[in-house]
Amino acid sequence: MPCSELADRSIDTWEILRHDMTRQLGTARDFMDDTRSATLSSAGALIEAVGNGSHDALKRLYELESRRLYGIALRIVRRPEVAADVVQDAFIQVWENAKSFERERGAGGAWLTGIVRFRALDAVRKLGREALSDDSTLGDEALAPEMVERLDAQAEAWALKRCLGLLDDQQRRCVILAFVDGFSHAEIAERLAAPLGSVKSWVRRGLIALRSCLENHDSRR
Amino acid sequence: MIPEDSAERHALAGEYVLGLLDAAETREIAAVLATDPELRKAVAFWEKHLHPLAALATPTEPPADLWDRIAARLDGAPPRRAPRWWNRPAPWRWATGGITAVAAALLLYIALLPVSPSYVALLHAPQQEQVAWVATVNRDVLTIHTVAAANPPPDRAFELWAIAPGSTLPQALGVIPKDGVLRVRALPSDVRLGATLAISVEPPGGSPTKRPTGPIMFVGGLTTM
Repeated sequence: MPCSELADRSIDTWEILRHDMTRQLGTARDFMDDTRSATLSSAGALIEAVGNGSHDALKRLYELESRRLYGIALRIVRRPEVAADVVQDAFIQVWENAKSFERERGAGGAWLTGIVRFRALDAVRKLGREALSDDSTLGDEALAPEMVERLDAQAEAWALKRCLGLLDDQQRRCVILAFVDGFSHAEIAERLAAPLGSVKSWVRRGLIALRSCLENHDSRR
Repeated sequence: MIPEDSAERHALAGEYVLGLLDAAETREIAAVLATDPELRKAVAFWEKHLHPLAALATPTEPPADLWDRIAARLDGAPPRRAPRWWNRPAPWRWATGGITAVAAALLLYIALLPVSPSYVALLHAPQQEQVAWVATVNRDVLTIHTVAAANPPPDRAFELWAIAPGSTLPQALGVIPKDGVLRVRALPSDVRLGATLAISVEPPGGSPTKRPTGPIMFVGGLTTM
């Protein structure tokens, strides 16, 4: 079923009210972000300063972002010493590549997240999931039904939250297990006790539906 | 292979950002991104829209000495990490999946050099496992040589490119001489950890533009040993 049809069915007055309120909140937040970057405390501004060779800016970036980034790495690799290596390598990469950071491509936070996630996924590929964790509850958190509800109410998250809500359960679980837990197709298949082929097609169809919903949302903003 | 169909390409970009592609596919996309603005836009779309999901991981206090370890490396000290590389499960196997004995021996040789290189890259043809080139970076010198006697087509040359992580613009590092060995001095400072190296087929003197004009034949990522 096309995303727009689903959207029409699910939007009621309450949703529209909530949307407007969230949007206003988002605008206020964007304004605050802009003000903060003027004092070099936004990730984007700090990354640019790192690109100009400032050790100090890298240290401040670490102070600002290390808890968040270590949390992302730990969730994927599970072992604290490996997560520490991932964050260490990521900050060296930030130091060496900050010059190529293009601000228009996205906020600094998303850029840092991308670097840490890719390094964490590399670590999983190198060391193997079995070597990292024998926890049989791995991925349970991502499967909890209220997971999507936990996305906070900022403007960017609101669109994703709403669009994820329109996917079917399996498609949504695939996207979350891949992004948040760093699971491969095969790991998702094992976790959901589903054939690999089904998982691949859930991901594909989920992404296609997600894209059309998000683009719809973008064009309405 | 990168599909032609626009919806398929967009979904592939999504899988790339989700991290669902294997190491070889990921590098192939990284190399194609350099010359494909449409795919670049698709990747940026997913990076931006999926980012809020990162908030589902609980922020956690990293080890107290982590900043000191990072700061020490900024001053050129070798990385200090918990397991040494030779304790890890056979690094040359994970590096590409199926590495040739020659390349494995080479890596072992590199690891035993008195001055071990900062970064190493193993380059292979997209979708293939056999390593064709090994590159090492030591301070600001990069050395690349073929380990598979790879030759360009007649009247063509191989040219080496680097794409810094987060960047989408390839930088020319030089035309590889016929003997299959190229040394690049004064390597650009952003060609380090996480950068992608790629080799394209070009006219004998190298690409007439600042970008690759021929097909990308080999790709690999710079990584620590």
